[in-house]
Amino acid sequence: MDIFVCIKRVPDTSEAEVSVDESGKEVDSSRFSFDINEADNYAVEEALLLKERLGGTVQVVCVDCGDVETIIRMALAKGADGAIQVNDGRVNVKDPLVIARVLAAVIGQHQFDLVLTGCMAGDDGYMTVGAALAEELTLPCATMVKNVEPQGGRLSVCRELEGGLLEEVDIALPAVLTIQTGINEPRYASIRGVRQAQKKEIKVLKIEDLEIAEEEAAGGRSSVEMQELYVPEVASRAELIEGEPAQKAEVLAGKLVKGGLL
Amino acid sequence: MDERENGFIQKHDLLGCIQCGRCTGGCPVTARSGLNVRGILRGALDEDLLQSLAGLPEIWDCTACGNCSLRCPKGLKPLDVLVALRSILVEGGVIQPSVRDALESIFREGNPWDKPRAARFDWRRDLDLKVVGPGEAVHCLVFVCCTVAYDPRLQGIAGNLGRLLNYAGVHYGFMEEGETCCASEAYCLGEEGLFEMMVEDNSELLNSYSASRIITISPHCYSAFKNQYPQLRAEILHYTELLAELLREGKMELNRELKERIVYHDPCFLGKQNGVFNDPRFILQQLPGAELVEFERTRERSLCCEGGGGKMWVESESRGERLAAVRVREAKMLGAGVLAAACPFCLLTLEDAVKAEGWEDEIKVAEILEIAGGLIQE
Ligand code: SF4
Ligand code: SF4
Repeated sequence: MDIFVCIKRVPDTSEAEVSVDESGKEVDSSRFSFDINEADNYAVEEALLLKERLGGTVQVVCVDCGDVETIIRMALAKGADGAIQVNDGRVNVKDPLVIARVLAAVIGQHQFDLVLTGCMAGDDGYMTVGAALAEELTLPCATMVKNVEPQGGRLSVCRELEGGLLEEVDIALPAVLTIQTGINEPRYASIRGVRQAQKKEIKVLKIEDLEIAEEEAAGGRSSVEMQELYVPEVASRAELIEGEPAQKAEVLAGKLVKGGLL
Repeated sequence: MDERENGFIQKHDLLGCIQCGRCTGGCPVTARSGLNVRGILRGALDEDLLQSLAGLPEIWDCTACGNCSLRCPKGLKPLDVLVALRSILVEGGVIQPSVRDALESIFREGNPWDKPRAARFDWRRDLDLKVVGPGEAVHCLVFVCCTVAYDPRLQGIAGNLGRLLNYAGVHYGFMEEGETCCASEAYCLGEEGLFEMMVEDNSELLNSYSASRIITISPHCYSAFKNQYPQLRAEILHYTELLAELLREGKMELNRELKERIVYHDPCFLGKQNGVFNDPRFILQQLPGAELVEFERTRERSLCCEGGGGKMWVESESRGERLAAVRVREAKMLGAGVLAAACPFCLLTLEDAVKAEGWEDEIKVAEILEIAGGLIQE
């Protein structure tokens, strides 16, 4: 099975204070550390597990002109066969639809059976690229995938839905799956492995290498524009209702009715 | 089989092992784990078995205390064999997630705690400390352990060392930039490639500072720099060696009273592995009003607290009583009000054990820097 995995580099915001920079449209990332997006890491592992079971190849794709070599080399060290980086400052990486179009242009140049992405990016949390990519490639898609079972030329996948529901889907190949974290346990890439992975090729592409108009990659058709980013105001406007339980319930019910909630 | 495994027998001199059992007899974790290092050395004679030996969960119970290697009459290093087995798993990529995350964090952020590199010096914001850059001549360059730099429980220790050095008029400085993990724990966890890379980078960095001495806070950095960083030019000291020297030379005086019975716990990486037994005790003996008592198992025979060997990141399969719990019980039986440690890992494991017993009011676990830092009149 020949698999493409799309990965993204994101800041780790779990330990650092998050503040908006002077532009008012970006997070100040000067003190952040960066790593592969968590869900993408699981997607890489799932691709490698499928390759180990069924044979084939795993290619990693990343649209980013920043310092992504480390995360790509780590994926290569774990067992991916090759990587493609679209390293072009003109690509509007803020727009998930643009990213999906560029990814589709890259992946569409190749024969493949399956495309995996993480289900969500840890920074913007859009959950858009995977589904949009499937649309661009006109392929079936299953999102939030928690289990993958190959069955003949198809896949049986388990999706995690709202409210704790699980859904089994039978899906034809080629397809796009967005992988939920926790589907497996990502392996470790040892430093010796990372060094050996220097031998594997990272193909670097520009917009001109793809069948996509510059205007489209740069977001001319963009439907997303960041207008303002702000930290939600913390305020205490809670009203404490005092009294006996029955009284409290009555007051509360009155307020809910008045507010049109009941 | 991985080609690196070839020559395993020669590399570790396994044919020299006489199966005397001195190693197992001194291994502290046999009390609570199935780890049998003698059996592992025997098993490793069959190189085809290495993979299955590496799969034994108990190889992760080793605390790297070093006792087995110190006791072996044939000069073998059983600890290194365990580290080599761990490295088979590391190279194969299949390790506990907590270990994987710690190693990835060392590689990416230069510390095992998944904290941003950019926050390494936050602890010293607003403190009156001296900081030196590369090339500036300095007598004592202070190297702060990752755990001390990032753990709010421990950050005060580094500040206290600075205060003591200010007070004693020492020509010192904390590192202006570049400070990063000594990677001792990466080595113990079997990530040799990462360790080698960090040794190379750190040696270059530390040599770029013009320091006569490097003062370490953690015995783990100390032991690594002393024994595994052959290119370092400066003399390596643990802070207890420096403080004892300052006290002996009359450059510092601890002049506030501390009416406590104190028992000192020898860190394996300072005591057993590097022979620093007297200096920490000398400091504690200078505390006015304090009485220093000794554990029954002390100095070379000191009981390991299980904080080393990468154990901060390993989930143990063993359900036996933790050695730190044994240690604090012994301290309590001695009537000690203070259990003194000279290592960040010892401090954390012993303090956890005290909390688990609910003895916080009776026995206080304190780093020597915390004790001494409170006893100077500035
Ligand atoms: S102490 Fe040394 S010689 Fe004796 S069993 Fe252990 S490794 Fe072998
Ligand atoms: S280093 Fe310590 S814990 Fe590990 S095997 Fe040797 S004696 Fe046991």
